[in-house]
Amino acid sequence: MMQHPTNDILLDYIHGELAPARDAFVYAHLEQCETCRADYEAEIAVGEMLRANAAREERELPASVKAEIWKRVREAQPSVWNLLAVWARPAVAIPVAAAIAIAAYFGTTYIGPQGAPSIEASYYLQDHADMNGTIPFSDHNAENPVELENAAAVDTQQTAVNVQPASYTADANP
Amino acid sequence: MLIRKRALLGALLAAVLCLPAGVGALAQGNDPTALLRDAVNAYSKYSYVGQVQNTDYGVKNANAVLFRIEHRAPDMTRRWYLAPESLFGDSIIGRGDTSYDIDPRAHKIIVTHDDALDDQVAMDDNFGLLLHNYRAVMGPDDNIAGRRALSVLLVNRYTGETVMRISLDAETKLVLQKEKYAASGSVAHQMRFEQIRFTAAIPDALFTVPTSGYSSTVGPGHAIPSNDLTAVVRTAGFAAVGPKYLPDGFLPVAGDVTDIKSVRTLHILYSDGLRTVSLFENARGAAVDLHEFTVHDTKVRGGSAQYVEDGPTTLLTWSSGSRHFELVGELSRDELVRIASSVSAV
Repeated sequence: MMQHPTNDILLDYIHGELAPARDAFVYAHLEQCETCRADYEAEIAVGEMLRANAAREERELPASVKAEIWKRVREAQPSVWNLLAVWARPAVAIPVAAAIAIAAYFGTTYIGPQGAPSIEASYYLQDHADMNGTIPFSDHNAENPVELENAAAVDTQQTAVNVQPASYTADANP
Repeated sequence: MLIRKRALLGALLAAVLCLPAGVGALAQGNDPTALLRDAVNAYSKYSYVGQVQNTDYGVKNANAVLFRIEHRAPDMTRRWYLAPESLFGDSIIGRGDTSYDIDPRAHKIIVTHDDALDDQVAMDDNFGLLLHNYRAVMGPDDNIAGRRALSVLLVNRYTGETVMRISLDAETKLVLQKEKYAASGSVAHQMRFEQIRFTAAIPDALFTVPTSGYSSTVGPGHAIPSNDLTAVVRTAGFAAVGPKYLPDGFLPVAGDVTDIKSVRTLHILYSDGLRTVSLFENARGAAVDLHEFTVHDTKVRGGSAQYVEDGPTTLLTWSSGSRHFELVGELSRDELVRIASSVSAV
């Protein structure tokens, strides 16, 4: 008999928190069971609605409150001399200098929301095309030229480092 | 009993040894499978000069590239771009598995090495996969660039859809035109020779890479693809996840691990021998920069996801915790979303 996942399990599945085997079971079950699929869609819809509602509440401050906040901010603005005095304090100046040095070191690399750099889409498109080299009659195959447009578009700062697959051993996994 | 087995093995061996002769005989009667095999080999056998147009058809727009080509067998090729204007005068010289992208306006050369082009075993395996998943059928004869062409249709054995039409030069079996179709039946990509002349008299100078006045840059490196996927996944250094759903006939065929901006990225290529899809993943949450494209929103497992289109190729991207994924391929967007939704621990 088919065992239907509980609501808690469906919620964990939606949040990607299930163990791999359970995750696979739920995925396969949802592919076949229309009832559970409907529950799953409903859970997603509820989540979306709550998120949208929360976002709306965050955005919609009454205009009079916003005006009052801005008024107080403007009134509280310090003079230029006060600002310079603040920036000259060692407790502020040293961390600021360190931040400038770090920013200069990393140059223009964009730091993503989780501290990792972002990788240009053209890299993925090009790598996909390159790995097609052994597929018969592929666009990248010898009968057909490489697209220069893509090749030139790849950011050369984005140099990839080859990881030698020849040295695959059991201890290759860090 | 032993003798009977040996006789059977002997007969099988004889049959296998006679196979090339048999295939040759069939080719005269236009056996489409034999024609495809000849087409794969024709590039390394014949030298020619000509003009080629490549067109990628997106959902609303098309991008075309026009270039002159000089090819000296087995593996020296020069392509000189005529259009679009932004590429006019650029050229690519291919010498074996190394290509030199030459930009005369910027006086710059990008050197790229692609080991995959040397991997004959992988090419043979993938040709076997193609024949397993596709039925080759003769189509009506054609005339391309003033030459008689034989056309072969590749029909997907599972869906019955014609995925590609290949037109081969009747004499040399070189591919003169290739049309790839989207799931809707519309043309997604076309390569076509506008002119072609077979000749071995192509001067060496055409394949000489200029050095004086040019700065040379090593192009983006790509790890050597391997079909030992267990080993590739182990090299990734994180617990890899993969799709539980793939379209009929698709298998993982190659993979590599590359460090891009210090982010270790696993790339697995899935194919049915003709169509392909790549899954990239990294465990550092390194997102993809899509600013050069028009970004569309979609959902993967109820979570937010984005996709962009580059001609017939779609890049779908989504996150799950600190794991970041990109799925790249020419399959329909619905099919890509379905694959993405099935991605979980292997």
